[in-house]
Amino acid sequence: MREIYKDEFATYNPITNIIYFLGAIILGMFFIHPVFVGVSIIIGLIYLFILKKKRALRELLFMLLMFVVISVINPVFNLLGATVLFRLFNRPYTLESLIYGMTLGGMAVAILCWFACYNCIMTSDKFIYIFGKIIPSVSLILSMILRLIPNLTKKTKQIASARSCIGMAGDSSSSRMEKVRNGTLVLSTLTSWSLEGGIIMADSMRSRGYGSGKRTTFAKYRFDARNLVLILVMAFLLTVIIFCAAKGATQAEYIPYLMMSWFGDIYMSLGVLAYAVFLLIPVFLDIKEMIKWRILRSKI
Amino acid sequence: MAHITIKDLSFSYPVDPDRLVLDHVSVDIEQGQYVTLCGKSGCGKTTLLNQLKTVLTPNGKRTGEVLLDGVSLDQIDLRTQAATIGYVMQDPDSQIVTDKVWHELAFGLENLGFDQRTMRTRVAEMASYFGIQSWFHKDVEELSGGQKQLLNLASIMAMQPNILILDEPTSQLDPIAASDFLNTVRKINLELGTTIIITEHRLEDIFHASDKVIVMEKGKVIVQDEPKAVGRYLKDENSEMFAALPAPVQIYYGVAKEAGFDMDDLKRVPLTVREGRTWLSELFEGKEVLPLKEKEDVPVKDVEEDPAISLKDVWFRYDRDLPDVLKGTTFDVGRGKIFALVGGNGTGKSTMLKAICRSIRPYRGKLLIDGKKLDSYKSGDLFKGKLAMLPQDPKSLFVKTTVREELEEMLGTKEAARYEKEVEIKGFENVPLDERIRQVAEECDILHLLKSHPFDLSGGEQQRTALAKVLLTEPKILLLDEPTKGIDNFFKLQFANILRKLQERGVTILMVSHDVEFCARYADQVGMFFDGDVITTNTPDKFFGQNSFYTTAANRMSRHLFTNAITDEDVIQRCLENIQSWK
Repeated sequence: MREIYKDEFATYNPITNIIYFLGAIILGMFFIHPVFVGVSIIIGLIYLFILKKKRALRELLFMLLMFVVISVINPVFNLLGATVLFRLFNRPYTLESLIYGMTLGGMAVAILCWFACYNCIMTSDKFIYIFGKIIPSVSLILSMILRLIPNLTKKTKQIASARSCIGMAGDSSSSRMEKVRNGTLVLSTLTSWSLEGGIIMADSMRSRGYGSGKRTTFAKYRFDARNLVLILVMAFLLTVIIFCAAKGATQAEYIPYLMMSWFGDIYMSLGVLAYAVFLLIPVFLDIKEMIKWRILRSKI
Repeated sequence: MAHITIKDLSFSYPVDPDRLVLDHVSVDIEQGQYVTLCGKSGCGKTTLLNQLKTVLTPNGKRTGEVLLDGVSLDQIDLRTQAATIGYVMQDPDSQIVTDKVWHELAFGLENLGFDQRTMRTRVAEMASYFGIQSWFHKDVEELSGGQKQLLNLASIMAMQPNILILDEPTSQLDPIAASDFLNTVRKINLELGTTIIITEHRLEDIFHASDKVIVMEKGKVIVQDEPKAVGRYLKDENSEMFAALPAPVQIYYGVAKEAGFDMDDLKRVPLTVREGRTWLSELFEGKEVLPLKEKEDVPVKDVEEDPAISLKDVWFRYDRDLPDVLKGTTFDVGRGKIFALVGGNGTGKSTMLKAICRSIRPYRGKLLIDGKKLDSYKSGDLFKGKLAMLPQDPKSLFVKTTVREELEEMLGTKEAARYEKEVEIKGFENVPLDERIRQVAEECDILHLLKSHPFDLSGGEQQRTALAKVLLTEPKILLLDEPTKGIDNFFKLQFANILRKLQERGVTILMVSHDVEFCARYADQVGMFFDGDVITTNTPDKFFGQNSFYTTAANRMSRHLFTNAITDEDVIQRCLENIQSWK
């Protein structure tokens, strides 16, 4: 069973959730400015730790490894750059190339981080809900598929174990040919069994009025005022970020010299600020909630 | 005018237009009645139920009509039918359409095009009524069989039907989940006034509650009346269906003649254990009860000398971080015995069977088959002529298109291919059966089914076909996992006879079952499985005689008078002995 994460942002409507994650992931993929990448990584990690607590450490280890590999490898292939640090196999290993590699590695880590958070928040229910908003019939099909897959896995295991208990599943000595044959037989049982189940399911659907006329979709999620407020805030921040980016806040060149906008530039400062605030939204919400409960509890 | 009127309804399938599956059936059902429909497997019960809902009516020739409040069912549009007639089917799993509990509850309402507000209220209402709140957000796959069937019921009740049809809804459930389910159905009937039409194998839980019992035989309704009158009719007609009635009724009529009861006085006929107990107490009032004639007391051996299966301190868990399922399981199964293990769901019974047939490996403990360590067997030796298991769901063994091919598969790849080819060339009838197959098929009484597709058979027939397949490995030790699940009393009897024959040939049988009545009647030894271990083992009469809850209806009804009388026959016999002594 998948875990339910205790998080304030998770209780918002899936539409709010998806806007946030689309923002975080798409912007994270386009901004190759080291400061922006840094902001994305740091906040992404903070959020991941809030969600997964200690278990995020294992993922962190993998991310670190990936970061190091990309950073170190890039200068080996990319020889351009003005500042030569040392020569490797008689080829220049440059500072610019290393920094560029680090930014790329950082970007990859940040995106991974955001996807990990996405996985915690966007359950299959939420995903289907959003799909249902776009194409209603697809959401039912998705839901049925998600029901079918574990069902088939279970049945496959059941058939295989039933056959092995009458000695019909072959053993370690059986040839590859026999193994393939056994596999096909299991598959054929699975097919007839599922077809039979399919007929019953079709009966059950029709007997409950499927296809008898107009259909509506039950929405488990409400869209209330707090969602609207949050979406407006996000829209505002995104506008600011994109405006700043258009003004060159996120521009960065690495080769042959490092050339990028820095904090002196008003657009750059504003852009970083807006970006950080946008990404921090779930963290803010969690902190707010924590304080609220502290106060509530102290009143009891 | 009746609520539902079935008028002279006949039906035949296109394959066999001359055989009437329903033969001039006429039934009236009033608003709010609780109607039980019973009969042997294949008597046309399900076909009749399917006629009550147009979308489920199969293709075929039909005469007569079905009226709902005086309007012909054909004239009622499908949407109205979907909402007013709810239908719960047999298999809890296949009926569920979506992946989440909340979505399944809403599914019918979505189809009927309700708006969000109504849907929310109805779903919330149903979740509360059926106690689903705690698992409302769960995946369907995580639910137990009983929960799944309850969900099916709830999602149909969300549409607020006037009529609820249930086709053997508890055949796949364990007894406790089954009686929970049936109690819920009863509650719906009493509290909401919903008309209930139900078919069931287990009549104990519903017979007494029914307003009307309809008994079918070969597509005909042979009797429809209130329960006591139906009991009387079946007794008078000496019908096979009498054996399916609840224990109190059978015991009453078993004793009635000797005791000189007035057969027309239906008021005295007990339907429930409570009524049966009172009736027995009255019968024995002021009279001495003869003590139990001591049978030669066979001392129960805790340690079998030469056990066929022996488990000693077996421990198992599915994952390092998960709790233990088998906790030092220790017991022996004597050679040539029928050993039954009873116990609740999730106590580890099936896991224990898996350990014996090496599907799983215990991490501690000893497991001996025929005195030899299980691990020392090669898989070829173990499953050829030594050990075999009949799985809970017989369908998991079927891989071919006819029963014959199914059995021939067991002869080995080459042999099976040869037969298949020969049948293809010469035709089915012209290729003689392999002698072994003929024997086994005869023993399991499936000779007449050889041509059928295994999936077309009824539950009991599938069970016997699977058994035949298992028997072709010529096992000395046979493991059975819930062998009586979903099959009716007649097939149970037939199945038990096969087991007896196997036992005569020296086959050891270990079965795991919920079916208390079946174990009481046919096992040599019964063990109670609880919390990963076998708690007690004893002979059935002593085992069930000592239990007060986990025992047969006959025992519960008579335990205050007789010791260790556990089957209906026991109780009848003891009553008769006593009555004779009074004369």
